[in-house]
Amino acid sequence: MRTSFSRGAILPAALLLGTALPAASQKLDRTAEPQPLAPRTVRVPTWTHTTLSNGAELVVTPKHDLPLVSFSIVFVGGASQFEPANKTGLASMTASMMREGTTTRSGDEISEALEELGVSGIGIGIGSESGSIGFLTTTAKLARVLDVTADILLHPSFPAASLERLRGQEIVNLTQAKDQPAFVANNVFNRVTFGDAHPYGRVVTEESVKGITRDDVVEFHRTYFQPGRAIISVAGDVDPNVVKTTIEKAFAAWPKGGSKPAFTYPAVPAPRATTIYLIDKPKAAQSVFAIGLAGPPRDTPDYFALQVMNTILGGIFQSRLNHNIREEKGYSYGVSSRFAYGKGPGAFSGGGGMTTAKTDSALIEYMKELRGVEGEKPFTDDEIAQGKAHLAQSLPSFFQSVSATNNSVSTLYLQNLPPDYYQTYAAKINAVTKEDLARVAKQYIDLNHLNIVIVGDRAVVEESLRKTGIAPIVLLGIDGKPIGSPVTP
Amino acid sequence: MRTCSLRGLAGATLVAFSGLSAQATAPKIPFERYTLPSNGLTVILSEDHSTPMVTVDVWYHVGSKNELPGKTGFAHLFEHVMFTGSGHVPYGVQDRLTEGVGGPPNNGSTTNDRTNYYETVPSNYLEAQFWIESDKMGWLLDALDINKLNAQRDIVKNERRQGVDNQPYGRSGEIINAALYPAANPYSWPVVGSMTDLSAASAEDVKNFFRLYYAPNNATLTVVGDFDPTQARAWIAKYFADIPRGKPITRPTVPMVKLPAEKRLVYEDRVQLPRLYMVWPTVGVTNDDAIPLSLLGGILSGTRTRRLTKALVYDQQAAAQAAVFAGSNESAGTFNVQLVPRPGHSLTELEAATDSVFARIKRDGPTAAELEKVKANLEVGSIAQLESGLGRAEALANGSVFFNDPDYFRKRLQKTATVTVADVKRVANKYLTSGRVVLSIVPMGKTDQASKPEASTKVGATTTLPSHKEGR
Repeated sequence: MRTSFSRGAILPAALLLGTALPAASQKLDRTAEPQPLAPRTVRVPTWTHTTLSNGAELVVTPKHDLPLVSFSIVFVGGASQFEPANKTGLASMTASMMREGTTTRSGDEISEALEELGVSGIGIGIGSESGSIGFLTTTAKLARVLDVTADILLHPSFPAASLERLRGQEIVNLTQAKDQPAFVANNVFNRVTFGDAHPYGRVVTEESVKGITRDDVVEFHRTYFQPGRAIISVAGDVDPNVVKTTIEKAFAAWPKGGSKPAFTYPAVPAPRATTIYLIDKPKAAQSVFAIGLAGPPRDTPDYFALQVMNTILGGIFQSRLNHNIREEKGYSYGVSSRFAYGKGPGAFSGGGGMTTAKTDSALIEYMKELRGVEGEKPFTDDEIAQGKAHLAQSLPSFFQSVSATNNSVSTLYLQNLPPDYYQTYAAKINAVTKEDLARVAKQYIDLNHLNIVIVGDRAVVEESLRKTGIAPIVLLGIDGKPIGSPVTP
Repeated sequence: MRTCSLRGLAGATLVAFSGLSAQATAPKIPFERYTLPSNGLTVILSEDHSTPMVTVDVWYHVGSKNELPGKTGFAHLFEHVMFTGSGHVPYGVQDRLTEGVGGPPNNGSTTNDRTNYYETVPSNYLEAQFWIESDKMGWLLDALDINKLNAQRDIVKNERRQGVDNQPYGRSGEIINAALYPAANPYSWPVVGSMTDLSAASAEDVKNFFRLYYAPNNATLTVVGDFDPTQARAWIAKYFADIPRGKPITRPTVPMVKLPAEKRLVYEDRVQLPRLYMVWPTVGVTNDDAIPLSLLGGILSGTRTRRLTKALVYDQQAAAQAAVFAGSNESAGTFNVQLVPRPGHSLTELEAATDSVFARIKRDGPTAAELEKVKANLEVGSIAQLESGLGRAEALANGSVFFNDPDYFRKRLQKTATVTVADVKRVANKYLTSGRVVLSIVPMGKTDQASKPEASTKVGATTTLPSHKEGR
């Protein structure tokens, strides 16, 4: 398709004349809220889907308004599937090591080659359930940047000295992260929610990074980066047939192999009765909350209802949590909540930084809002309309640039979503009912089994938190391990 | 309109810079600029129909620099108050007509020099944005009382707790600025202001500040995206033309800062690892030296082959991270180095290694190849900003407000292309002198981990505040 969206005049001529009156000719009623014009039709781009000779899928979304191309290879499966439990950090380390040199280029030469091509970098990342390697370039440079990309992907040399340098840097990063209360809260939340046996509960530690060997990196690279689990996605100023030939040529040395992983996970630990896990951060100006529990996977039939419900609860500025705790009470600079989804039980979690002196009050209000969406405070029609509009009318931003388009299209394949997902997106949001919202809130936010992680100044907040009677307090270290015996209220 | 292209510009731009030794054929953003005759409001319109969205970005040429000692923090406080409703638009309506109709959140930010308020919404909601922004400009004070002020003071305090007090190394900015600028210099106090000043401010103080600086003659309204320009002009006249012009504004003159000698400081923080900051006073954005200084920053760090990064992180492996950047406000700037040591390496060692890299570039200058590489990448980076509607609006407004030329980003690229090796060598020698601030932030009780601890003065916990506020 030449254009992604309809173009043309945004309103009829009659309206134009009506509003072009000189300002002074009549007194403006400033209390009258202007009504929106008719919404413009958003057209979702179309793409081709074929398979390369090595088994990789190829998805091409032409978008010709600018001479730009966004290219990425996404891999189904990530650290949760391919990283040994005692080698957390191996996936990311392998990604970093791929930039350190190939059989024909040094790390410096890769960096210089990309600078010469005016590419800000080739991004390589491996997350929990997927990975990617990609870049943004101009149409004219595509073939040359692809050559460097293929070299990095297929012929990395993994210099041993680079591993030691990167290991040292990563250990410094982990040490610095211990000072970040939000990072600590998130790590501890994942540990208490998912436990050591579930990949979602694993965190990268100094010990695991110290244990990574060059052989581990070589082996991870060999097993992970296989075309049988790859989707090559190209969005931008390209012809699908021409670009297929270019890509076949650039990756001719990438042999068949691999398959998409099954995403089988061990069971999540049996949920415990709601507990406050308190991590001491002496003299902290704020208490950072991370509150929630294991949630549904991305393919839950309740996805759209959950999205609308969470938008109202903690997804936007005027959501209930932020409005109450920041705007009304003034306890925080920002409070939010979200569902992580995933192929497995991605968490429902939320929180923010609460001023230390109001930690107890902030928790009381937070819990009140959770009870609210489950029925104490019924959803209003206005809330529902805004929550739905916020989600449904964000569709244009999914295809705003070639990078966004690439991401939106490749996500369908990573998540196994139907090809008409974006065409039916708004309708599915709008089909959510008020009853659905209350039902999913009740079903997925189990108030009796919440993990309430708080990183704050224990000397100031512990006693007042206990007095709220919300839950017993367990003291944990910043690594999430117990440091004292449970205290009951 | 200067040009009539309705296309986005990012692609054309990237092509223009495709060569390594790019002779900048600078990109063009189509725009028109005009002033409302009744009150002096500057309007910039830039069409782009590629997605059915529109960005509205209102700049007021006021920041913490326009405040007075004892009355600091007002500009940032207003950034918050501006979202609490105005004479005819009750609290919450703006959020309903932005995030509540699908736009990304409306927000604002305050710097030393300017304040902006922006929203991106589905394009059929454009008129409502003019209604809201004009009501703030003309009728904010009708809806402002002491309770509302107090509520926003509390939220500002939470903003400071989150961004400064509860962040490791969070106080570095305010410590450096207080050391760099004399107390009377308006860049010496942080954008968020003094909590004491904020608490002491009377409603009348705050209102007077608003009347002077939030008038249409001190504002620039930029609209980027999917709109009809005839329609937009009519709406802008309808909603903004009857707001009265404000009084003439006297802008502060900020003298150039020169430190007679090095200032060495050490601050104890609740952190695991020490960190070193080296900062030199430089020039404001309108000074011709700002561009070669910015290139010098790029020559020293950014990718693995840049000088300081290569020396400290790759060759010597003494630092885990090394960052160099030149930044300029409207009337003054700084050249900054930040270093994180690897275990077994001291801040003293990192400082010495940095000095040696700097001495060499002052003596020999950069190579021509180094300079060209950085030019090409700076250009690509500054152009990447123009891909979003807000990025484009900010580029146009920035040029208009500080250079009286919305097209300035293009001129800046052209100027960048003409900078020579000799220019870079000259600014390195002129500004990277012994008159600098060297701040070590160390774990509590570990002042011996400072760079040259015996020569460094301890900074105590004070009530001064941070230097830049983003977001409400």
